[in-house]
Amino acid sequence: MWSLKRFPAPWLLPALLPVAVMTIYPVAHALWTSLHSVTLLFPGEPFVGLDNYQRVVTSNYFWDAIRNSLVFTLLAAPSVVVIGTLVALFLQRRFFGSQLVRSVVLLPWVLPGAISAVLWIWVFHPSFGVLNGILRELNLIDGSIPWLTSPRLALVAVVVAHVWTQVPFAVVLIMAALAAINPETLEAAAIDCRSRFKRFRHIVFPEIKAMIVVLTVYNALTAFTSYDLVYAMTGGGPGTATTLLSFQIWRESFSMYDFGAGSAVAFIVVSISAVLIVAITRALPSDLFERE
Amino acid sequence: MPGRPSRLLTFFFAALILLFTGGPVILSLIGSMVPDRVLFDDGKGLFSEGLNFETYRYIFTGQLPDSYSAENANPAMISDAARQVPRSLLNSSIVALSSMALNILFGAPAAFAFARYFFPGKGLTFMFLILSPLVPSVALVTPVYIMLQSLGLTGTQAGIILVHTAKALPFTILILSVFFRKMPNELFEAAVLDHCSRFQTFFRIALPLSLPSIGATGLFAFMLSYSEYMFSMVLSGDAATRPVSVVMAALARNTDVSWSLLNTAIFIAIVPTLVLVVLVWRFVVEGLLSGAVKG
Repeated sequence: MWSLKRFPAPWLLPALLPVAVMTIYPVAHALWTSLHSVTLLFPGEPFVGLDNYQRVVTSNYFWDAIRNSLVFTLLAAPSVVVIGTLVALFLQRRFFGSQLVRSVVLLPWVLPGAISAVLWIWVFHPSFGVLNGILRELNLIDGSIPWLTSPRLALVAVVVAHVWTQVPFAVVLIMAALAAINPETLEAAAIDCRSRFKRFRHIVFPEIKAMIVVLTVYNALTAFTSYDLVYAMTGGGPGTATTLLSFQIWRESFSMYDFGAGSAVAFIVVSISAVLIVAITRALPSDLFERE
Repeated sequence: MPGRPSRLLTFFFAALILLFTGGPVILSLIGSMVPDRVLFDDGKGLFSEGLNFETYRYIFTGQLPDSYSAENANPAMISDAARQVPRSLLNSSIVALSSMALNILFGAPAAFAFARYFFPGKGLTFMFLILSPLVPSVALVTPVYIMLQSLGLTGTQAGIILVHTAKALPFTILILSVFFRKMPNELFEAAVLDHCSRFQTFFRIALPLSLPSIGATGLFAFMLSYSEYMFSMVLSGDAATRPVSVVMAALARNTDVSWSLLNTAIFIAIVPTLVLVVLVWRFVVEGLLSGAVKG
């Protein structure tokens, strides 16, 4: 890697500018809102300091929402990366129909979130659902399992649906990273090391590690701030079982018109996800994040 | 050479993957061709009345399905939104393709600089890029709307393109710099010896050799824009500029709409995209497998 004496502005500014425009003012605006009382009902927007934050943290929904969001993220993000990596490793093989499988794997990706929700409601629906139908046919159950109406199962169901929507992208990136590995390295490894697992651990994994870190960061973020799929599938229920933090922002802002509280939740989300990201990059050190 | 049990295992896993990723979509294909009255009648077999393409005909020609013109059918079961699907596909492709092109145009040079050079301010700019997507979009919808309104960009596709480009750029840069880092150093040392300028090194060496990876990254930017819902909904105007995610969400949330019509709309919406994505993906995989970047 070479050093430059000056900041390479022509290389970076075209990319930094749109991101800066879409971040700095909106974030400043949201921060300002979170420190003021901004509601539709009362005109004037007095400065209230941290009142919004305090009100949000002491509300009865909040801790449920944080717990749900964290559980959702901790279940979903690693599953996406692990399943994605396994599928990508598997799809490297050539077999009869491998082209078909490689194409079908991309299907969940091309569906808008609202549509994925509809499809998965159809799978999990207690009375019309396909899953219960199949289980009944196989005589594994008598009645029907309330996938979307029992608190535990509902969270699992939305995690499955979310993972389903995110796996194709993970497969695409991991396959691209796998294919960029020098084939001579792999040939040498195949001769030196007979165990397939050891070969993956010592040869393949270090090569795709940077990509896995990027994917994990991306997925932790998407899971932690995801909103439309879960909202469309369960509406946050039953009770508060699948109410996620980002859904809470939406509810405070657009259904209770308390924009101050909504922005306060948003900044709590920001700080938690910043911690998550630092934790991920620490746990999986990669030269991509080197500072010098 | 794989033996018999390993062959069976391969097919088992292939079937598992097909079932998991394709299963729900197959359900929707079946649903689009079977009328509601058969679908929800336990006594009738799924295909007892044969296949039915009336809902497809309705979306493309506007001719109502026969069963709904019959007496005591609920008129709310037919939604006009379904007829907007073909038009919205076109809107979405304009927005997503522009966002993809801008992402590659702006993202690739930045990623190259990050992957190959140390420079003052690198850590700071990199941190900014990584931290910028942390703020959930729900919190940004209002300020972004206010900002774009003052620029006169609401209700236009330019506004949506700008937002989607900015949303995808941090990740485009991250992903592309992973690929640029993987390229063998010798290539670039040779370029320096040959007195290539930095721009020439990027344009003549890095770019052509990483076309497949750029394809994969472009695919990501395309899909992010194509499936984004919240900003698309707030920033798009009338039916003529509405992208597919907004139209489909309107259909999906309307609980009156008949299942077969909804499924037909789903199917029409995903087929062109799937074809496009598979074509690009083929190019990516074959390009990578044919060994463009083998040091």
